[in-house]
Amino acid sequence: MNTSNLIVCRCEEVTLEQLEEAYQSGCCSARQIKMKTRATMGACQGRVCRQMLDAWVHLKNPQLPRDAEQLAYRPPIRPVTFGQLAKGEV
Amino acid sequence: MDRIENHPILGPRKSKREPVDFTFNGEKWAGLKGEPIAAALLAVGIRTLRRHEESGSPRGLYCSIGHCMECRLNVQGKGTVRACLTPLEAGMCISEGERLPNEITGRRLP
Amino acid sequence: MTPAFPFDLLIVGAGPAGLSAAVEAASRGLCVAVVDEFPEPGGRMLGQFHEEKGHWWVGRQVAEQLLDKCSALGVKIRCGVSVHSILRSGAEWVLKTSEGSMQARNVLLATGSAEIPHPLPGWTLPGVMSIGAAQVMANVHYVKPGRRGLIIGVNVLAMAISRELSVSGVSIAGIVLPGIGPITGKEASPKESLKELMGLAHLAPSPLMRIGGKAANALGMAGFVSRFIPRSGIKIWDIPLRLRTVAVSINGRSQVQSVTLADVNGEGAVIPGSQREELVDFVAIAGGLYPLAELASVAGCPFVYAEELGGHVPVHDEQMRTPVEGLYVAGNITGIESALVAMAQGRLAAATISGDTGLLGQHHDQEVQEAMQDVRRVRASALIQFRPGIQEARDQFYRKCGRFQREKNGIKEEG
Repeated sequence: MNTSNLIVCRCEEVTLEQLEEAYQSGCCSARQIKMKTRATMGACQGRVCRQMLDAWVHLKNPQLPRDAEQLAYRPPIRPVTFGQLAKGEV
Repeated sequence: MDRIENHPILGPRKSKREPVDFTFNGEKWAGLKGEPIAAALLAVGIRTLRRHEESGSPRGLYCSIGHCMECRLNVQGKGTVRACLTPLEAGMCISEGERLPNEITGRRLP
Repeated sequence: MTPAFPFDLLIVGAGPAGLSAAVEAASRGLCVAVVDEFPEPGGRMLGQFHEEKGHWWVGRQVAEQLLDKCSALGVKIRCGVSVHSILRSGAEWVLKTSEGSMQARNVLLATGSAEIPHPLPGWTLPGVMSIGAAQVMANVHYVKPGRRGLIIGVNVLAMAISRELSVSGVSIAGIVLPGIGPITGKEASPKESLKELMGLAHLAPSPLMRIGGKAANALGMAGFVSRFIPRSGIKIWDIPLRLRTVAVSINGRSQVQSVTLADVNGEGAVIPGSQREELVDFVAIAGGLYPLAELASVAGCPFVYAEELGGHVPVHDEQMRTPVEGLYVAGNITGIESALVAMAQGRLAAATISGDTGLLGQHHDQEVQEAMQDVRRVRASALIQFRPGIQEARDQFYRKCGRFQREKNGIKEEG
């Protein structure tokens, strides 16, 4: 499989190569890679790719515990429009 | 794509749905009132619902249950909606999610 | 729209767990509401059906029975409502939704699961979808996902939905492996996939039953796959299951036109020169499920990682109680299992909540214990098991959560 320009994060079109570069530059955890590349930070809020990013990071360092650092979930976790906000309902 | 009129296990749809007209990117189509916009578009063979904001790459329905946001498109009067969850209404003016005219992040594109 | 008084129980998710909990809680006298962002209630049961000892188990019928009970008991069900946040205000929960705020004394999160993809070149093309999307289109919305499709991923979910699609009249070119890549590890090799499929061997009528016994003996022996599985694959329910074939890339200009396939050896390495194109107009990716628990996280619930349960799971005890006051979980948010287990968990959560609110009186313990035993019984007899050894994994998880809680309390006491 030619994987250099394989997209991992669909929303932000972050490729495997970009993850690898971030890793090589010193980003070790999923959170650090997220901050560097924007992977998992797009419109789906990581619902599609966070498991893959976690798995990839885990393959890099299989000895690290997986409980330790989970990527954060921050509200709103579903789309809210400015209209809804303006109505003061939400 | 074909509609399933009488499902071999589930039978026909319980509540009959009324046919309605709508437009997509200015072109006129017919669908069933109350079905998700994504289903109505798939039934007439339209898979591209959106262009990626930055690269312009075509995108379509991916998860179908509101998780992935890939199917977001525009409905006149409603703004950006998820096509997989938003019920079709008579006379809806729908247009695909567009590539933005300006560069967003300046990242190298894949 | 928002009632003057808070609900006793607000359930997020109108699937098997949420609806079962609603029926049980309302029949015990709680004032219950259910919200779900899908336009109709029933969750993923709406599109599920499988053959069981000569008859069809139809999820939609089960959902309709639960909905009838809900309406008889006065349960308020609101669909097409997205919950985007949850916060604590005094002794109540406030759920922020697309239709305004809702208040409740207790919240049950029954948000189910989300899908894990297998990424491969071309997977952003229109026409590539998660396998659950194909299921929903065909069996819920009655629109075929395409004229001819390929399923990528060999697992329980892929097999179950492929069968549904095939029965629904959708043409399936085959089920192939995702290939060993930088993200999917060795579990995508023919050897590991066959191991997983052994968990399905009891889904008769299935050639896997026959092939299963032989393969079980051969597991661990190098090259067994090439001996038992022909290159063309084996047919299961008329669907070619190609355990020696991987998807290399998905091709097309503006939508899916074909998939490049290649043969692999037993360890998953591509055999040079075996590449060819399969013409299809849709691709369904089946990478498995993970618990969808965003709201638990926003509400402040801690998580524990449990591979057998599908990933990070909100900490909870066997009665479905999280460490956060008034917050409960049931269904796939607690780990990936079938709809029947989710329903039993929903009933258990309702019993626990009724007990915690003082509704069960002195019989509290006994009723909760019975509901707990029921979950174990249903799990043990479940026809579709996503993972072998699930009860052991659960027991281990509850022990871990117990330790977690004790440690947390210990730290608090000292501080």
